Amino acid sequence: MSEILQVRELKEQFYTRRGIYKALNGVELKLNRGEVFGLAGESGSGKSTLGLTIMGLLPRNASILSGSVLFDGIDVVAPMRDYASKSNHRFSFRKNERIIKKMNEELEGVRGKKIAMVFQDPMTSLNPVLEVGYQIAETMLFHQSSVLAMRRLARAKAKRADLEEAMKVIKNTNGDETVVERFFEERGLKGLEEQVLSIWRRPDLPDARKEKLILSLHSEKLGAFESKVLKLVQERGSVPSWFSKLPLFGRLAKKVLIKEGYRKAVELLSTLEIPNADKIVRMYPHELSGGMRQRVVIAIALANNPEVVIMDEPTSALDVTVQAQILDLVKHLKTKFNTSFIFISHDLSVLAEVCDRIGIMYGGRLVEVAKTREVFESPAHPYTKLLIAAIPTLEEKQIQEIGGTVPDMRFPPSGCMFHPRCPYAMEVCRQRVPEMVKVSSDHHTACFLYSQGEGST
Amino acid sequence: MIIAARKISKYFQVKGTGLMGGGASLKAVDDVNINVSERSVVGVVGESGSGKSTLGRLLMALLLPTSGQVLFDIPDDILAEYDSALESGELEKLRRIEREYSVYTKKGKELKKMRREMGIIFQDPYSSLDPRMRVMDIVMEPMIATGFKRRDEARQMCLRLLEEVGLPREFAFRYPHELSGGQRQRVALARGISTLPKFLVLDEPTSALDVSVQAQILSLLKEIKNTFNISMLLITHNIAVVAYMADYVNVMYAGKLMESGSKRDVILNPTHPYTISLISAVPGRSSKEKRIILKGDPPNLVFPPAGCRFHPRCPYAFNLCGWTSDEVSVDLEYLLLGKYYAAFGGDVQIVPRDSLSLLVKGIDSKRLLQIIEAEKGSLKSLSSISNVQDFEGGVLVSLTKFVSPSLYNLGNGKKVSCLLYSPDISMKQDIINPEK
Repeated sequence: MSEILQVRELKEQFYTRRGIYKALNGVELKLNRGEVFGLAGESGSGKSTLGLTIMGLLPRNASILSGSVLFDGIDVVAPMRDYASKSNHRFSFRKNERIIKKMNEELEGVRGKKIAMVFQDPMTSLNPVLEVGYQIAETMLFHQSSVLAMRRLARAKAKRADLEEAMKVIKNTNGDETVVERFFEERGLKGLEEQVLSIWRRPDLPDARKEKLILSLHSEKLGAFESKVLKLVQERGSVPSWFSKLPLFGRLAKKVLIKEGYRKAVELLSTLEIPNADKIVRMYPHELSGGMRQRVVIAIALANNPEVVIMDEPTSALDVTVQAQILDLVKHLKTKFNTSFIFISHDLSVLAEVCDRIGIMYGGRLVEVAKTREVFESPAHPYTKLLIAAIPTLEEKQIQEIGGTVPDMRFPPSGCMFHPRCPYAMEVCRQRVPEMVKVSSDHHTACFLYSQGEGST
Repeated sequence: MIIAARKISKYFQVKGTGLMGGGASLKAVDDVNINVSERSVVGVVGESGSGKSTLGRLLMALLLPTSGQVLFDIPDDILAEYDSALESGELEKLRRIEREYSVYTKKGKELKKMRREMGIIFQDPYSSLDPRMRVMDIVMEPMIATGFKRRDEARQMCLRLLEEVGLPREFAFRYPHELSGGQRQRVALARGISTLPKFLVLDEPTSALDVSVQAQILSLLKEIKNTFNISMLLITHNIAVVAYMADYVNVMYAGKLMESGSKRDVILNPTHPYTISLISAVPGRSSKEKRIILKGDPPNLVFPPAGCRFHPRCPYAFNLCGWTSDEVSVDLEYLLLGKYYAAFGGDVQIVPRDSLSLLVKGIDSKRLLQIIEAEKGSLKSLSSISNVQDFEGGVLVSLTKFVSPSLYNLGNGKKVSCLLYSPDISMKQDIINPEK
């Protein structure tokens, strides 16, 4: 498996009025293509900070001391790291802010397109004054306006005969993606295949209805002026910047593209198993239930087929039964799109459901990384063991508490961060920071109990 | 019994829907009975919006019920007397017992005394502690307000309580914002037990906390329960927490009690379809067991589903569960205008006539009957169709009259509100395809 994202020795701190908060202390992470990686840990362990850093979403008091986040051939945090190493002890918020602003401009084309994020609370991450369909369409308008134009033009160009033949191809191959794609490309109708296939794959409709819907795709006419605008957008690959200088013209172009975006939003929402998606896109966030809203947020994240999706506690604000629905959905998405996920949660049992590998974070470091099965069956790090023992289960079992609290990261403990709470703490734990060592293949932990090859106690 | 609620209901008035004179109401808690005996922990589980927090507030007399009674600290024999009077309808006797034990009739000094004997801990320790008060003032406030202790005694007591909940003494002079979530919840706990109550309501005490802190708070609660001999009502959506803490479990859904019984009976041998799916939805269980994923969302409680409130989502629903013409017409529409679209081409019209019959136009009765027979297995609502006949240029579809389940006793104190467990045998013969 190839790696898609790599985090190397990442050290990050925040300058606050009450001191320097050392949030990340050397995180090592590799994300493979098409895998779900879980991040677990208590609040304050740095899981969300890591997620936000990978996205490059940092406040002005953040400073990257060392390390890198390699994604898509670029180092996301490089400008900030360079500034931190240059500025030494004289950290200036204003200069840092300027650098972050520049970094954000550079990342505009990556964020939301190649890497996307789902936040914890679907109530606050959607805009209450916009229809949910618009919010999905907007992300596509920003990143893939040419794709939207292509879709619309293909639909205007298609004739009934084309679609009838396409139906035959689909029926013969049972919706084989590559065959259908080639069929449309040969006829110069690229962009139509995903529309046809998404209707064909809808689980809630019978075949006869699907056929009628597919055949009706061609019936929408396009005005001469609109088609000219769309062709321009398609040729340029994006909305030309002079559009916005012509008041009416720019608005009209946007209107046509957003309308197409709504169609795509309907397709997306129905793949996320939302019934009556064509009505839902016209609703405002407050009209939807929590589970529904979270699906909309997931749809926004998936709109541009990103390579990596970071999900930050996507189910913590939801009920158990709705949580089960969302987890089921993530499992499906994993197989459907070839997307990698980073799934952040404080609830290990949630991670057990969906993840291929799990990383346990403590004090701004990954202390254990292993396959999901192994984390539960043979946890190595004492913190992981205690964390698992602290989860109440349905079976009659005495739960174990972890004494003490998460360390104050302004004054982190020396050596291994966990040693003040660790029942197996040794002298060496107080003095040196443990390296990541291999316990078995694909199972690594940062603990001195394993560093001399002694095995567990 | 420390607390015995009988037929308690709370309807909240909803503004803006006053078409029918008095306006609509949201049935948050509907006809619920609950018992909390001495020194026991009773759990209430359910999704958000199931009315569990409202129930907790009703028991504490923080809300007044629409109907029903809550009796506090009532001897068992008098409660039995009350129950039998409730059944036979002896108003005189009911009034007499209510006057003495009801939490809603108490006033003045008596109310203060009762407040002293009850405590509550809220979900969010960030919003339930006054940011302008020191920890000491927070813990002392209920003691002084209910006349339990004078100021200097209360101060002594406060320091003792802080030690009891595992906080150092110097925390008494701190403000809530200086504390972490777990520490705040400990302060809230100290406040809850400051008047040495007999009964404590825990409203989602750990859902805002981390797993490791949750474990600390749960074992602290167990300890407190034993040292102070407190009965507790634990309200939570986390079944694992209830399984860990409670002796007795009540499952609520959409304002109704679905199942209640001892922990062993409910958690390890769930009977009600809702409990079964709720328990199977707990993540991280062994993957061998088949998970039941409920479709849809909890119902709108302004217009709750007829019959059993769980029937639209229930995987075991059958003909008597409460199907009405609205639900059947939605499913028929899906069939005739969707699945069998090719056969009719969209010329079918479906008009509900009243709650138990509907008119289908543009199709003959034979064909409709065929379709219904073919789809009965997958669409539960169709099982309620009792008769299909030609009528006034269309087809009249009539439905079986539904039965509302009541709490059926399964012995051993276990009660279930599901028609599958109804003792009425004639009903069971009508059950089509209960397992699948």
